Amino acid sequence: MEEAPLIKMEGIVKIYPDGTKALKGVDLSVRKGEIHGLLGENGAGKTTLMKILSGMLRPTEGKIFVNGKEVRFKSPADALANGIGMVHQHFTLVDVFDGLHNIILGMEGHGLFSKIDVEKAMEKLQKLMDDLNFQVPLDVPVETLPVGVQQRIEILKTLYRDVDVLILDEPTAVLTPIEVKELFDVLKKLKAQDKTIIFISHKLKEVMEITDRVTVLRKGEVIGTVNTNETSPKELAKMMVGREVVLRIEKPPKEAENPVLQVQDLWVKGDRDQDAVKGLTFEVKAGEIFGIAGVEGNGQTELIEAISGLRKIEKGKVILNGKDITGRPPKELYDLGVAHIPEDRIHMGLVSEMSVAENSILGLHWRETFRGPIGMLRWNKAKEHATKIVKNFEVLVPSIEAPVKSLSGGNQQKLIVARETSKQPEFIIASQPTRGVDVASTEYIRNYLINLRNENKAVLLVSADLDEILQLSDRMAIIYEGKFVGIVKPEEVTEEEIGLMMGGIKHES
Amino acid sequence: MRVDIRGFIKPLIESLIAIVIGILLGAIILAFSGYNPIKAYIALFDGALGSKYGWAMTLSATTPMILTALTFGLGARTGLFNIGAEGTVYFGAIAALILTNIWGNILMGLLGGIIAGIAWMGIPAFLKVFRGVNEVVSTIMLNWMAYFLALYIVLQKIPNPDDPNKTIAVPLSARFPIIIRGTELSWAFAISVIAAVLAYYVLWHTTLGYELRVSGYNERAARYAGINPKKAIIWSFLIGGITSGLAGAVEVMGRPPSYAISQGMANIYGYGFDGIGVSLVGRNHPLGIIFSGIFFGMLKAGATAMQIEAGVPLEMVRMVQGIIVVTVAIPGILDLLKRVVRK
Ligand SMILES: Nc1ncnc2c1ncn2[C@@H]1O[C@H](COP(=O)(O)OP(=O)(O)O)[C@@H](O)[C@H]1O
Ligand SMILES: [Mg+2]
Repeated sequence: MEEAPLIKMEGIVKIYPDGTKALKGVDLSVRKGEIHGLLGENGAGKTTLMKILSGMLRPTEGKIFVNGKEVRFKSPADALANGIGMVHQHFTLVDVFDGLHNIILGMEGHGLFSKIDVEKAMEKLQKLMDDLNFQVPLDVPVETLPVGVQQRIEILKTLYRDVDVLILDEPTAVLTPIEVKELFDVLKKLKAQDKTIIFISHKLKEVMEITDRVTVLRKGEVIGTVNTNETSPKELAKMMVGREVVLRIEKPPKEAENPVLQVQDLWVKGDRDQDAVKGLTFEVKAGEIFGIAGVEGNGQTELIEAISGLRKIEKGKVILNGKDITGRPPKELYDLGVAHIPEDRIHMGLVSEMSVAENSILGLHWRETFRGPIGMLRWNKAKEHATKIVKNFEVLVPSIEAPVKSLSGGNQQKLIVARETSKQPEFIIASQPTRGVDVASTEYIRNYLINLRNENKAVLLVSADLDEILQLSDRMAIIYEGKFVGIVKPEEVTEEEIGLMMGGIKHES
Repeated sequence: MRVDIRGFIKPLIESLIAIVIGILLGAIILAFSGYNPIKAYIALFDGALGSKYGWAMTLSATTPMILTALTFGLGARTGLFNIGAEGTVYFGAIAALILTNIWGNILMGLLGGIIAGIAWMGIPAFLKVFRGVNEVVSTIMLNWMAYFLALYIVLQKIPNPDDPNKTIAVPLSARFPIIIRGTELSWAFAISVIAAVLAYYVLWHTTLGYELRVSGYNERAARYAGINPKKAIIWSFLIGGITSGLAGAVEVMGRPPSYAISQGMANIYGYGFDGIGVSLVGRNHPLGIIFSGIFFGMLKAGATAMQIEAGVPLEMVRMVQGIIVVTVAIPGILDLLKRVVRK
């Protein structure tokens, strides 16, 4: 006999104002007291579906039932009144407020003069924390706290509003492996208190570990709901992607050769003028992939921007093939054989309003091939080039005249990789090369990076995806607060050790 | 590159719809004020397009507006909000007057306009690139400075000894030949059209134009691509200076009967602001600007006929035109806002 579901969503369709059909008739039912996984690739519609359930978005079509009664949410407040609250992927905390004021924000009663009783609020929060067996400081500005702690404040904020159903949108994306464990402990406690949790993720491992049941979404449709203990990662992956996936990467052993890039005692400042990179020294050799692992925001962005000529170097040296390139502008670096796959493809790697052809020569446009007399741009050559790289890299484009924003994320990324490789580089910087990219393109891009390495190029790979680093790197460094905690060979360490290092704990051996 | 038709159709349809709505709104106002809108519009269109003379007046009114619109349009394509065309026009006109009076030929006059334009537009360019001064602020202030400085020159330095109402005139040898006798339409119109076509060429068929457009869309992508956004900004200002400097030059060298600047500068005043509207309606595209320039020229040329034939007072004519212009500019303004918001 089926338990009656606590939440039932029926035939949910969502068409965004720009015409994107994000959900195409989705059914979902969630039982009371379970941890229900919502699994799907980027763009599958997970966030959209949960924003509808939490009252932030209205469905174009479809019905929602809570405890068998149909509801219509006009705002998040309506959903909260029905006991449903969501912790968003991007936190909604006010940086300069302390935890307490973030939590009670918007709850000061409705009358003009009614004030919330701060002491009573503190009491309630303390009890919540005791029940869940953790402590977070509620009296310091949240911006000074680590991301994992901020996330707990977000969770407290939602629980404080007495929700029974807690929705967590990709909560582990920003956490270290240790923080993930701690989060899972909290989730288990909540489950023991008979709370219902909807856990969004695109990581199979996590879903297998924490959930009771999983619903898999693909391209706005439900592929199925399964009991976690009756399924396997392989089956889930297949449901998620729609075909058998073998994320197997062939990586033949290879001796690295002479160093191509040498970085010596590099210091770089971040946007808020803080020291972001603190005296890094390393080298990347011909024929190797040097990976940098770490939780995002530990200086990776600044390091890459400094090496690629986009950010000022305070101190230290960058040497390429024996030539000092410290502080040289990007154009000069490209001419010396550097290629850069930037982490932010939409705001840096591409001009989304411009066409595929126009984007295919970005950063190559001054080359002899594309320049005619008196600075004319040779469009016929540019188009030939675009056609060639699109074909070689199997980038799916409606036409090379179509604006790049009409491509899917995976194809945008492939276009960048294709363009950067067409520069015939000696040294490639690949920053988060497969973030937000579908599985098929991910496989393609990863294999491609290995190819470059096999061709004796030097590859510097920065990724927040630990699996990616472990799979691809010949050597890897773990970065924490602007310093390397260690440089290791992936096969010589366990994931636990790396997890500790990502949290800043030194690896001793 | 082949002109991308799909990219054109949508803005074109939007602009056409906006024109129809603008005209309808104007009609409503006219009707409520007790005038016959149909009669008024017939007078307007007939006056502007119904005869060779009307066409000539329309195109001559269009001439300077295309050039000032290019200044704004080029700026917008480069991510700038350059509203300094107005002041630049004055100096273009003054420089052309002075140089033609020294050398007496058209080329020197045009050169004068170009140099004055570059010099004056160089100021906000310099302030932006080296001092980080927002170009909206600097160009508005410079417009006022230009106004009083130009007025001083007009009144004190180059007054016409024979006619207290205007400055010295462009000598006969340096005037643009008239295309249609008895009208104000001179070959200066060709300068505008050539400038617009050249601007299109630069933007879409040169590496410089490519760099300008990349910077305009996305400064970070530009830097990443090895483009120096500062260089792009300077070029955008300088080319914009050239076109609005030329606007002033062709206005004094190609507009009968005076071929001079009037004492209050009334005959060269306002083109910079008109240019913003023209550019917005033309979606900041040089070729679109030619057509929207003609639309604006038509409204100007038809104003007299609307007054005389339909008995609509000048203020009313201006108001109706203002409503049409604002409505027609709305899609372009929305485009611009979308970009600003995204930044
Ligand atoms: N505000 C929006 N406007 C238009 N399209 C959107 C918007 N938000 C998301 N989308 C699109 O809807 C689809 C589903 O997105 P989303 O729900 O965020 O997926 P997921 O959370 O599974 O990664 C994607 O194709 C995405 O590009
Ligand atoms: Mg999401």
